[in-house]
Amino acid sequence: MSTPEHVRSDVPAGPPAAGDGTGPVPSPARGPVRAAAARTARRRPVPWRRWLEILLLAGPGTAVFVTFVILPVLMAGYYGFFRWSGYGPPTEFVGLRNYQLILTDTAFLEALWHNAFILVMSLVMQGPVAIGIALLLNRRMRGRSLIRVLIFVPYVLSEVIVAIGFSLMLHTAGAVNDVLDQAGLGALRQDWLADPDVAIWSLMLILVWKYIGFAVILMLAGLQGVPDELREAAAIDGASYWKTQWYITLPLLGPTIRIWAFLSIIGSLQVFDLVYVIWGQYVADTAGTSTMATYMVANGRISGAYGYGSAVAVVIFLISLAVALVYQRYLLRRDTEGALTGGAA
Amino acid sequence: MTGRNRRGAYAASACALAGALTLSACSGGTSPDGTTVEEGEPYTLTVWTNYTTGPGQDWFEEVAAQFEAEHENITVEAQHVQNEELDGKLQTALNSGDAPDVFLQRGGGKMKDMAAAGQLLDLTGTAVDAPEMREKLGEASFEALSIDGRLLAAPQLIQPGGIWYSKDLFAEAGITELPETVEDLEDAIGRLQDAGITPIALGGKDAWPAAHWYYFFALRECSAQTLEATNESLDFSHECYERAAQDVTDLAALEPFNEGFLTTSAQQGASSSAGLLANHEAAMELMGAWQPGVVMNLTPDQEPLEDLGWFPFPQVPSGEGDAEAVMGGQGGFSCSASAPKELCGEFLALMNSEKHQEGFYEAFGTIPLHDDAKDVVTNEYDEQMLDALAEASYVSDFLDTNYGQQVGTALNQAVVELLTGGTDPAGFVSAVSDAAARS
Repeated sequence: MSTPEHVRSDVPAGPPAAGDGTGPVPSPARGPVRAAAARTARRRPVPWRRWLEILLLAGPGTAVFVTFVILPVLMAGYYGFFRWSGYGPPTEFVGLRNYQLILTDTAFLEALWHNAFILVMSLVMQGPVAIGIALLLNRRMRGRSLIRVLIFVPYVLSEVIVAIGFSLMLHTAGAVNDVLDQAGLGALRQDWLADPDVAIWSLMLILVWKYIGFAVILMLAGLQGVPDELREAAAIDGASYWKTQWYITLPLLGPTIRIWAFLSIIGSLQVFDLVYVIWGQYVADTAGTSTMATYMVANGRISGAYGYGSAVAVVIFLISLAVALVYQRYLLRRDTEGALTGGAA
Repeated sequence: MTGRNRRGAYAASACALAGALTLSACSGGTSPDGTTVEEGEPYTLTVWTNYTTGPGQDWFEEVAAQFEAEHENITVEAQHVQNEELDGKLQTALNSGDAPDVFLQRGGGKMKDMAAAGQLLDLTGTAVDAPEMREKLGEASFEALSIDGRLLAAPQLIQPGGIWYSKDLFAEAGITELPETVEDLEDAIGRLQDAGITPIALGGKDAWPAAHWYYFFALRECSAQTLEATNESLDFSHECYERAAQDVTDLAALEPFNEGFLTTSAQQGASSSAGLLANHEAAMELMGAWQPGVVMNLTPDQEPLEDLGWFPFPQVPSGEGDAEAVMGGQGGFSCSASAPKELCGEFLALMNSEKHQEGFYEAFGTIPLHDDAKDVVTNEYDEQMLDALAEASYVSDFLDTNYGQQVGTALNQAVVELLTGGTDPAGFVSAVSDAAARS
């Protein structure tokens, strides 16, 4: 989040050319006047040297992005209209049949529901806890750095390692049940991973454990942007600690919370590796932890139905895109306003 | 180890996807004839295998050296690809027209897809198709790798499935006779449970080990004709399929499986189902012929399990299938559409010759197909399997291989649902039928 509102609008409008000897001149005209000037400047023809520069700097990145992101997305869209086993070129055009099958397949709808559940529960379970921990860690106390590191460690660990660790611990004959037995709490034994009523909660807890560190770090960073003067002023006015947090800190933390929620939502829609490693390629459906992405792999690649799998990928893409756009439009708008070139227009 | 992790094939690497996406050229044409290499003309024959173990590679080097010695100016260049990565890598190579000349073929639906895309060479009439080869390797194994009378791969091995058990644990539970009928099996399960032993290890996480129980019940419940007809029609309306599902449900009702079988993997680590058998924590496991090698790697000292025994899948009372029918994984080698046809056939014929089939048994511990190579087999269970094959009235590949990946995967998942009580036999049949209708 860049706070200076017009930094980004300098890019296209900036000094005419890097090599003309004038160099960047700090403009006294900040604010709306400057933004308007930027728009006028853009209409002037851009000299070829400038184009060359753009091409040189942005070219390689753009080429890689187009080849490995845009093109595959388009190809998936194309393959989605075929029944295709992945050998030879796709020839059997089936129109919208794949999409029709996806949207009527209860297994997909269940997976979608699991994603929705993960999305909501991630926000509900991680948000408040992360803010609380961040507030705590923002105070001076002994061992603060150590706690910060410990909380962040799960996020740094690879998903596969986390998944293997938890699948061994939570297995019916694993450590968790053993500990419960030893502690005389045998009645609490569960089939943590296989019981459809329990498994999704096990997944939720692992997700929270894994990703809360990221939320905490974001919140901590956000807290650094809350000026001490405001807290002092509130303290002088006689506000209690909690009142200060509620009326000063939280509102100022708003942009951070919104960005974190956005990342969390996108992450929730794409949960794959943890489920895939813990429940393997086949049993996530049965255990009630399948997600759209595991559905895609199980019914696309593992089933050798690349056309169908591509169609699922397109559906996931559209759902994620829709969620992202709605979120941007209604919640992130205030934060990004002006920060993006022409974003306000 | 050939065929071990047979189903690991499904865990093909991400290259498959990449390959699919960057699809550029394809080796088209409906009936490719391959190419010809004149005698004396230099040529490098490229071969892809899944032989990642030392003895396996040594065996291959021996075959290659002999072939090079017998053919002037021909070089054999092998790439031994990790089993799980082979299929994806191969798919990419086949689609991009950059395929190896010779490669490992798992048969079934995948072979059908490759053939339909014109990516396989018809080996009919080549050296490997010679009458004496067909006689020695068995007509049935050639048929399994043929489509519409075209031989699309040379058979190399068969890995029959059956029940592997611990002799010590059976003795401990007082089981003296090996189960011949499902009733016997249920009796054995009861005795083992009374002795506090987990009767059956099951790696449900990988789905196919669970599905094996269904396949074998179907093999006993359904006649060979019904099974063969379904391979073509994917029609599961014959009531024997529902009966087989009922058999699975009845078995599951005895709770014979290890605790948490749904999240137990088949072959990875001591807590896997093969690991349970290797460490005497379960008495039986239904598995293919690759089992001894897998179990060996999971015993505490990584030595072969001394008391490992084998018996064929028991018969069910209402079965229309033959008690002697055998099910197992079959495999061989294919040549790609642009490979030199004659040379390919000669290479595969050499690979499957008596001498090299004997070497193959020694390197991989997999029973040989070649009749004259069978005298090197000394192991008790290997002999039992050879006997079973010799007496077999019908040999089927694993059902998911026969039905192709899409229906096969749906079938495997449906069996898991059945085992966990998520569906009943009727629901199972309709789930599989739905998948068949969709494919």
